[in-house]
Amino acid sequence: MAWAQETINTNILNLIVLGGDQKSTGASIELLPIAIIDIEPETLAGAGGGAGAGTEAGLPPPSSGGADLSNLWINFTHRAQNYQPARIYVSTNQPIPNGMKIEVQITQTGTGGNYPKNPNTNKIRLSQTEQVIVYDFANGYTGDGLNRGYHITYTISNSKTLPAGFEVIYRIQ
Amino acid sequence: MKNIYTIILLLSFSSLSFGQLLPGTLDVSGFPNIVESINDLVMEAGEDANTVGFESNIDASLISFTLDPTVAPILGIPLTSSALNCSLNIFRYSVYMHTQNAPQNVEIQAKTTMNSGVRFPVNILYDNLLVRPLGPRDLTPENGGGYITIPNNGNAAIKVFEFVGCRQDIPIQFKVKASALAISGASNFDIFYTVIGSIL
Repeated sequence: MAWAQETINTNILNLIVLGGDQKSTGASIELLPIAIIDIEPETLAGAGGGAGAGTEAGLPPPSSGGADLSNLWINFTHRAQNYQPARIYVSTNQPIPNGMKIEVQITQTGTGGNYPKNPNTNKIRLSQTEQVIVYDFANGYTGDGLNRGYHITYTISNSKTLPAGFEVIYRIQ
Repeated sequence: MKNIYTIILLLSFSSLSFGQLLPGTLDVSGFPNIVESINDLVMEAGEDANTVGFESNIDASLISFTLDPTVAPILGIPLTSSALNCSLNIFRYSVYMHTQNAPQNVEIQAKTTMNSGVRFPVNILYDNLLVRPLGPRDLTPENGGGYITIPNNGNAAIKVFEFVGCRQDIPIQFKVKASALAISGASNFDIFYTVIGSIL
């Protein structure tokens, strides 16, 4: 059902003639900062959660089955606190076995959403030390799902068995 | 002189009026302070934050509209009270709302419910008439009582509800849908209510 309410231009009314009146009151709203991130598809990859809200972001990858490393996307929603720009960091929760190299790279920006785009498009060799994968950005949202936000690609050299519970962590702050 | 006043009063009492609109006064009380809580936030990364929204109390503001007392010209002597004028003069009133200086990327909505508020006076002769030209002294919300987005522009104030006869303590509830693009923290703004009378 469609509703179409009447509108009037209050700047040209003669309220005395119209038997009416006009008053105003002050009001305020208070908005919280938001910083949430996840990796899509959600059933294949986990990501570190940011501050501000609980979400599925932060869950580890499922114990069974491997991720489709060719089609992973970073989604996020961000509302700054005190105009402070955010970054997205990437790291691992455990050391990568000696000799093995895992690199991640943003290779594409998706469609939809409304956000400042400032990716680090260099290959990042993962370690337990956090590195910036998206540089400073202001408020925005990427849209949810595949083809939204930033497409990431992993490159693995000299593959070895990763320790149990190994995770790649993405953190927005 | 006393006889003149008596005649004027008798004339005023002699019949219900649905003709010329009389001046009235709108009163607004309450300072809506609408606060987003952790449970109001978007839970799915990537979605905009305005998919959720959060509400004020149902009576964040109370508004009343009553006809002014009638005062004798020049002499300034009260002739009829507001209650008496509201009893004898029944009009239809439409209430339009707009905001001023509302924050960007924030949608502010308002609503009231069917027959909210209180008739003023509570019982009058009009209510018992077999034929009531403007219908019962009821309040009818627009949009079926659902939320209506309030424009941040006095050039396009939007109708939120209408009522017949004077009415007091009409509760207004607000809902805010704030995009992730909006600035966090507190923002102050003004809410305007404009009442327009009608004899139809």
